[in-house]
Amino acid sequence: MKVPVRFKVNKEEHKLEVDPRTTLLELLRNQLKIKSVHRGCEVGDCGACTVLLNGEPVYSCLTLAVQANEAEITTVEGLMKDHELHPLMKSFLENRGLQCGYCTSGLLMTAYFLINNLGELTEEEIRKGIEGNICRCTGYMGIVKAIKAAAEGKNSGNWW
Amino acid sequence: MENKERRLVSGKGQFVDDLEFAGMASLVFVGSPYAHAKILRIDVNKALETVGVLTIITGKEIVELTNPLPVQADLKGPGWIWRLPKVYALAVARVRWYGEPVAAVVAEDENTAREAADLIEIEYEPLPFVNDVVEAMKPGSPLLYSEWESNVQAHVKFDFGDVDSAFAEADRVIKVSWREGRASGFPIEGRGCVASYDKIMESLTVWGSFQTPFTAKHIFAETLGMPEVKVKIVSVDIGGAFGNKLHTWKGQVVALASVLTGRPVKWFELLREWIVTGPHQRDVVWEGEVAIKNDGRVLGLKANVIIDLGVEGTNRGLGTMSIIPACCSVPNAYHWKGMHVEGYGIVTNKSFYCAYRGYGKDKGIKFIERVMDQVAREVGITPEEVRFINFIQPDEFPYRQINNYTYDSGNYPAVLNKALELAVVKYCRERQRELTQQGKYIGVGMAFTIEPAGIAAPNTLFGGMTEANVKIMPDGTVEVNSDWTDLGQGAEESNAIIVSDILGCKIEDIVVPPVTSDWIGMGPLSSRGAVYIASAVAKAAKMIREKILTCASVFLKEPRENIDIADGIIYSVDDPEKRLTYKELAQRVYFFPGPRAFPKEVLLKHDHLLDVTTTWYSPNTAETGSTYTTFCSSADVAVVEVDTQTGVTKILKYVHVHDAGKIISQEIVDGQIHGGVVQGIGEALYEKLVYSQNGLLLSDSYSDYLMPTATDSPDIIVGHLETPSPFTELGSKGMGEAPIIGSKAAIIAAIEDALTPFNIRVSNSPATREKVWKWIRDSQKKSNNEVT
Repeated sequence: MKVPVRFKVNKEEHKLEVDPRTTLLELLRNQLKIKSVHRGCEVGDCGACTVLLNGEPVYSCLTLAVQANEAEITTVEGLMKDHELHPLMKSFLENRGLQCGYCTSGLLMTAYFLINNLGELTEEEIRKGIEGNICRCTGYMGIVKAIKAAAEGKNSGNWW
Repeated sequence: MENKERRLVSGKGQFVDDLEFAGMASLVFVGSPYAHAKILRIDVNKALETVGVLTIITGKEIVELTNPLPVQADLKGPGWIWRLPKVYALAVARVRWYGEPVAAVVAEDENTAREAADLIEIEYEPLPFVNDVVEAMKPGSPLLYSEWESNVQAHVKFDFGDVDSAFAEADRVIKVSWREGRASGFPIEGRGCVASYDKIMESLTVWGSFQTPFTAKHIFAETLGMPEVKVKIVSVDIGGAFGNKLHTWKGQVVALASVLTGRPVKWFELLREWIVTGPHQRDVVWEGEVAIKNDGRVLGLKANVIIDLGVEGTNRGLGTMSIIPACCSVPNAYHWKGMHVEGYGIVTNKSFYCAYRGYGKDKGIKFIERVMDQVAREVGITPEEVRFINFIQPDEFPYRQINNYTYDSGNYPAVLNKALELAVVKYCRERQRELTQQGKYIGVGMAFTIEPAGIAAPNTLFGGMTEANVKIMPDGTVEVNSDWTDLGQGAEESNAIIVSDILGCKIEDIVVPPVTSDWIGMGPLSSRGAVYIASAVAKAAKMIREKILTCASVFLKEPRENIDIADGIIYSVDDPEKRLTYKELAQRVYFFPGPRAFPKEVLLKHDHLLDVTTTWYSPNTAETGSTYTTFCSSADVAVVEVDTQTGVTKILKYVHVHDAGKIISQEIVDGQIHGGVVQGIGEALYEKLVYSQNGLLLSDSYSDYLMPTATDSPDIIVGHLETPSPFTELGSKGMGEAPIIGSKAAIIAAIEDALTPFNIRVSNSPATREKVWKWIRDSQKKSNNEVT
């Protein structure tokens, strides 16, 4: 039995019919082929699947697709301007905020939310804010540096 | 050209889970609910009837259609025990650990496969199991392999120097024990692969999260009974590895599924399956005694280590071999007269043992650092003093340690001094005294680590082979191939840096394709990237530079000595207007050399072929037999506060000073240090794999197996020193494992130091808050007792 849903992903409108058991993670990856959203644990323990649902970070593995009805979803692909990297992404590159890249998409969405909503961020606030995204490679040093630099960049107008 | 990091940050990673092929099916494994049981019956009929199921593979098909997994290390030595079980890719007749894969369901999609998996009916007869090494070693313990006399898979013995006279000269002998809990890496991305068997060409291609494609090819070919030339393994983007992905055994079942169905088949493992069936590590018990002089000089050591290998460590992976570096790494950075070290690898009903950052040398080093701390306490000197007294000195290199490793270079006192300075240890100790008066307990702990890197171990699948290729394409771009699989540790970038430095080409013009089994080599394990692979790549680049200069000298009509290369331009030093871009040179070499073509000397020596493949082997290993080639060194200093009400340890300051020889990229090295330190902190405070009394794994998610989050991780102050290695092509040393070793030891030492007023010896890890709280309560109940 399928249920109709409609939502916007990265500003593009979609109308689909889904099995009500489908998670937002499955929908994004398997049906819409948005591969930046990664599967890590699928039980809400790692944060690799984080996306923005109406501007707020959620674990897409714990969100049912039907819960996203009428919502606006943003993923990493939605932060790019055509082929131009978002300033937050540039900061991650410049400050070594990634190594293997598996946790990165989820982290970028959380960081985007933090910077948009909390403005100037102390190191402690950054660390607390990304507590729900586990990284095994970087030890978080490059990530914190990247987020701090991007937040400062936003204050100088380098943001969208 | 877009580099890998830019591609990853824009969400364009190509991990296993992202791969899609036409007609691709999905495979899921079914795991045993018992720690030890006979499989009486497997009934797949209901499952096979599910719409969308293509086939189901059980032990029956595995035995009929595949070979046992090839042995990865056969290291029987005189007086040693080394037993090899016969292991297939799925359980056959018996399951030996909770979660052991018993069947594989292949269906049109993953959800269908999972639903069908629930319909498989398996009847088991539970058997007595054992999941404690002490119990497993007792006569009468349940045996994992009925053809073995006991659960000892390996027993190795080492005698270094003259241990008897060391003990005879001693002023005192101190007993030390140390225990590490079971832990492993479990990167965020689990294992997985897509296997595609071509029925017409009878060839198999497997794309996956493989750390060592060449070795994996051999293992796949052996298991499936195929000629190696018909098997190709391609590494895709890998979401972290840390040694946890250098084995393969489930992949062969996926390959068989493709053979049977004629479809590409994907298997991708989520975290729970990864933790339950992945390689486990650490889990060692040390008992020893150290012979010392009253001034803190160490003379000799006798020690035993028992390692819990789970079901085995020789077939699914190569964990058992790690007992050897565990025993041999004990001397660490110090002078010794003699040692006797014995290691036991015991099998139990837990997941198998393989590699995790540190592998085996981490264990000996963590043990000896605990020993050094204890010696310091006994004779009443500081932990830094005991290390300074016993250090190998800067003028003694290359140093032939009593364990037969030849240490290449180093300046241990300088490294430790720098760490003590950066951590302002003097000030911390003053504060410690003040704060104790206020009932606050802070502690200063340290550890010194040498990191043996670049293993070449004969009679294993890891004997030291490597191959590097550099070629200039007709359009002037440069391709670099090697066995340096990129796991996120900057392998592609490092290759590009090395080659562009030597060739003077633009780094953006270099392409490092994903590593495949086409190139011979063991892969980036044992931190050998900066040792073997970097050396081979540098050598290839140097050789091709010679050819470039020869060809350029023909085209520019300049003697070779007058030609230099910078920023992609090959030019005459005397007359820079005489120049060629790499593209212009390549076009002329490949196709349009000019009316007189090449002189015959060039053609006869084949200097016009801009493609070099070469290899490198460690002169250290060849000359001295030292299985490791380079030995970087590091000092970790941690300052912690222990809350005696809650048992919580907070890290106030963390310093790591590192000497990795000539550094290829400081940013990459720093990244490895940060990541390794946080993993070590995780092991020191949080991470533990816990099996229940019924033999089931309780800690099967990140909610139970706690990995450090951003708030658990400190700001890490990093310092560098460089003593180049005389043995590698660039002077670089393998690094990346020392940080996970020293950090765990330093945090444990710091906790112990903080709890000095309570007279607590911290001799096991992890020092979780529950344990610390209990130690404090127990010590408050009894005064003067040693509590662990």
